[in-house]
Amino acid sequence: MNAIEIKDLSKNFGPKQAVCGLNMTVPMGAIYGFIGENGSGKSTTEKMICGLIPKSGGTIRLYGKDHTDEAVRAGMGVLIEAPGCFPGLTVWDNMMLQAANLAIANAEAEVIRALKTVRMEGAAGNKYKNCSLGMKQRVGIAMALLGDPKLLVLDEPLNGLDADGMRIMREVFTDIVSDGKRSILVSSHLLGELQKVATHYGIIRHGKMIRQMTAQELEESCRTYIALKSDTMSKAKALLGCRYNRVEEDEAGYLRVYDPVTPEDVVTYLYESGIPVTEIMTDKIGLEEYYIDLMKEGE
Amino acid sequence: MEAVTFPRYSFAKRLRSMLKVDFKRMFKSRLFYILLACALVMPILMTVMMTMMDGSVSVDPQTGVETVIHGPENTWQSIGTLPTADGAAMGGMDVMAMCNINMMFMLVCVFVCIFICDDFRSGYAKNLFTVRARKGDYVISKTLAGFVCGALMLICYFAGAVLGGGICGLSFAFPGFSAGSLVLCMIAKVFLMPVFVAIFVLISVAAKQKAWLSICGSLGGGMLLFMTVSLITPLNATVIHPILTLAGGLIFAVGLGFASRRVLDTTSLV
Repeated sequence: MNAIEIKDLSKNFGPKQAVCGLNMTVPMGAIYGFIGENGSGKSTTEKMICGLIPKSGGTIRLYGKDHTDEAVRAGMGVLIEAPGCFPGLTVWDNMMLQAANLAIANAEAEVIRALKTVRMEGAAGNKYKNCSLGMKQRVGIAMALLGDPKLLVLDEPLNGLDADGMRIMREVFTDIVSDGKRSILVSSHLLGELQKVATHYGIIRHGKMIRQMTAQELEESCRTYIALKSDTMSKAKALLGCRYNRVEEDEAGYLRVYDPVTPEDVVTYLYESGIPVTEIMTDKIGLEEYYIDLMKEGE
Repeated sequence: MEAVTFPRYSFAKRLRSMLKVDFKRMFKSRLFYILLACALVMPILMTVMMTMMDGSVSVDPQTGVETVIHGPENTWQSIGTLPTADGAAMGGMDVMAMCNINMMFMLVCVFVCIFICDDFRSGYAKNLFTVRARKGDYVISKTLAGFVCGALMLICYFAGAVLGGGICGLSFAFPGFSAGSLVLCMIAKVFLMPVFVAIFVLISVAAKQKAWLSICGSLGGGMLLFMTVSLITPLNATVIHPILTLAGGLIFAVGLGFASRRVLDTTSLV
């Protein structure tokens, strides 16, 4: 059984088609990284999953049941766009309201547990409107964690978090899915962070799923490249550019050769041209580069 | 792998938890207490002002016609009117007859509209409707919260009217009606409140974040029924009046409740 199974999902806003014929499968126990450009239909899809906007067509099944099933929906945790908190109330009061909404029996203990998970127990008495962006985001995640949800739908949950916050979130996500029954659908533009936790990926473009894969498949799909340094980088770049199709300089100052060649070939070629290589290594492109490549292909 | 189970909650449990949230929010809301304070102070100020203006003459600058302003003679003029043979109310159709306790039916729209608008503006509606697939619970809860707020406003206004009457030394006599019919009149007014609250809830869930639109719409929608309130709930009310208003309140609350649920089911909640 899959946690989320979407078939031919579509959503029209007047004449504009935001999502068209989207198919998506989130297996149980997966951390599903949902990736796409701004306006590609990620949030719209997530809102339809959560029943916040009506779909124009297609089916959404959560744990084998229709997404409108009240029991399944009661087992969801959600953070879409921004945490839904009343600014004038304290963090604690907002959490208690959501706990009451979920009819949680021992609400106080559950709220303390959720706040502790995101390291926000010390700020429970703060008014929500006085919290920083990162704190608000943590509150939103804590709220989504209330009631031990079976399915978490998180839209940009890492926005505004500091390095420690991101590390905590990674731990929380991994811990949640560890029993293999609970699943997380998470969309984020921080692809480097997403790659550290995601077990599955879905890449959406113009409202259509253009690729779905596991982390293993991504690893296999990611091409290797050669990164090198030389004393005369500009000359080396020009020379390599004449011979190979794709040569780029990265942020760390390395020249990257993406063509399928061996390091020996590159070193020999440069050496024969009078350019000594001081440093060379091979590596694989990450999710970010894979995604950018995929987007370029589409163009 | 074991199957994932989802507990199913009964209607009573769902409603209880949602009411708990709404009442908690209502009793923590500043607006709620401001409205209650307004309901308490308004009749006192109006009675005092009208008593002070009693007997003063205003002259129309164009026609030169003089009009004598009459102050209230009886405390219960703030609560309602008595239908007379020619359709005029007790003490004539003066300011007190127009601006009496019935204004609370319109004022409660401020609470209902802002209460619902806050859900959508803060994003709380996203949390709520994700875990609450049944929109009917939401509509029932908001209608009940609005009804309680409205009923408390009516009670506060009544208390304010009694205080105002006492301060200005007005008569507490019951000319043409009895204390019992005054109680029935108040009960009828309370039972009539769901009619207005249901209208305001429907307009608010349609307007969502736009508080100004829901308040304007509610004032407009409420106005359609406002003029009938004094006729349905006169000071000389009999048992039939509360029964009629209770029936009307239930019919409106259920009917418009379904319409509100339909609006929530078919429109975007964010």
